[in-house]
Amino acid sequence: MTEDVKIVGFCCNWCCYGGADTAGTSRMQYPPNIRIIRVMCSGRINPSMIFKAYKEGADGVFVGGCHIGDCHYDAGNYKWNRRALMTKDIIEEFGIDKERFRFEWISASEGEKFQRTMKEFYKTISQLGPRKK
Amino acid sequence: MSERFILAKSKENEITDSGACGGAVSSIFQYLLANELVDGVLTLNKGIDVYDGVPRLLTSAEKVIETCGSLHCAPTMVSDLISDFLTDEKIAVAVKPCDAKAINELVKRHRIDEDKIITVGLNCGGTVRPEVAQEMIEKFYNVDPSRVVKEEIDKGKFIIELDDGEEIAIKIDDLEEEGYGRRDNCQRCELKVPRNADIACGNWGSEPGWTFVEVNSEKGREIIDGAVSEGFIETKAPSEKALEMREKVENIMIKMGNRNTGKQLDDDYSLEEWEAQWNKCIKCFACRDVCPICWCNECELEKPYFSDDPQSPPDPLGFHGVRLSHMSPSCINCGQCDDVCPMEIPVSKLFHKLQKKYESRTGYVAGIGDEKPPLYSPMKEVF
Repeated sequence: MTEDVKIVGFCCNWCCYGGADTAGTSRMQYPPNIRIIRVMCSGRINPSMIFKAYKEGADGVFVGGCHIGDCHYDAGNYKWNRRALMTKDIIEEFGIDKERFRFEWISASEGEKFQRTMKEFYKTISQLGPRKK
Repeated sequence: MSERFILAKSKENEITDSGACGGAVSSIFQYLLANELVDGVLTLNKGIDVYDGVPRLLTSAEKVIETCGSLHCAPTMVSDLISDFLTDEKIAVAVKPCDAKAINELVKRHRIDEDKIITVGLNCGGTVRPEVAQEMIEKFYNVDPSRVVKEEIDKGKFIIELDDGEEIAIKIDDLEEEGYGRRDNCQRCELKVPRNADIACGNWGSEPGWTFVEVNSEKGREIIDGAVSEGFIETKAPSEKALEMREKVENIMIKMGNRNTGKQLDDDYSLEEWEAQWNKCIKCFACRDVCPICWCNECELEKPYFSDDPQSPPDPLGFHGVRLSHMSPSCINCGQCDDVCPMEIPVSKLFHKLQKKYESRTGYVAGIGDEKPPLYSPMKEVF
């Protein structure tokens, strides 16, 4: 058996984390490779956190926030969106496939979307395989 | 008087003789000091030789004469000196376009008070690294570098003046083809006339004995008007032909800059080559310390969660990646990080490349205008 991939997921407390919860309570199965870290808002995440995850050996990093316009703190996800675009630019320069980084807007009621996204992301990452160190 | 372009000339003979073309800059500084409009003037002084520049704060008008002349072989930035040591004083400062950009970025970050600083811009066609200059003078000019008493970049030529008065000029293009000449960053530079300074002075489009001045702000206008009415400088309008000439020179320089940017950034290193470059890193923090815009008192890179094994090179993404995420949208391409790197990693290439990418996506040009990078905006914008 090949080494299984590791995925770190940053989920915002108000939406995506709730979405993961919904998926859990409705017993929707998704790959166990994702390790979720709860943050209060996607606007709290900075590129360094993503880089740190890669540095510690993550093969993929996922970030989930509220839908644009639904941020609990009004504009946090807009800020994250701008940072995410820059993060993508930077990781590419360091030889990390941009497919290994994904961000998505998932609301607390979208357990099904969370499950689907995780399955898709797991598939992408396992096709790319573990990152060479 | 409300013209944007003027020709100015010092009224003092001593300055016109020693200063570069017209000496208007020196006279403007004298006017500011003599009328106590500023507490000090920050300029670059010749150190032990032409390859050495020492920033100096002048507080009396008589001393201004000692600073005349250009120093192309001593690339020095002054913006962080201002934000670190001179925030309490009202000062005027002579700036290259990249200095003006750095000051602009620091003003946006509230590190420099805009009302306390007057920027007198000097047109700049580029600077040369001191060690490269010495090597180049030995190799192409066939003279001992220590005999050079003055140097100048004019009409695409790098001109040196020797102690016996002899002048030798070689085309910069020829030098650059051989891998010498201006620093890589200067070759990529697209701002030759510092329009982000209060006034921009230089010899492009001027007549012999006159300085061409472009007034860029209200503050700049007041200074020129004041200096004229106090009798420090005299002015006249430039001819149509001179204006055309100046525009032409500038456009050629910008075009060259753009071409070099494309050449140097697009087909630069492959990922493997970058990997090899990063493996040279000794994590000395020189690039962070010298960056004119990077200033946090508590640096994220020194946090325990970003510590690396001291025996091996740092994780590229965890060190340079973090620096890029902090600074690249505001990178002004001053090239100081390249200059100080003891391992000669061309760090600025990546910073400049990502700034360009950021610029094409958001329209944000570092160091110009009043807007902060949209990255910091509280607004609901998508990019």
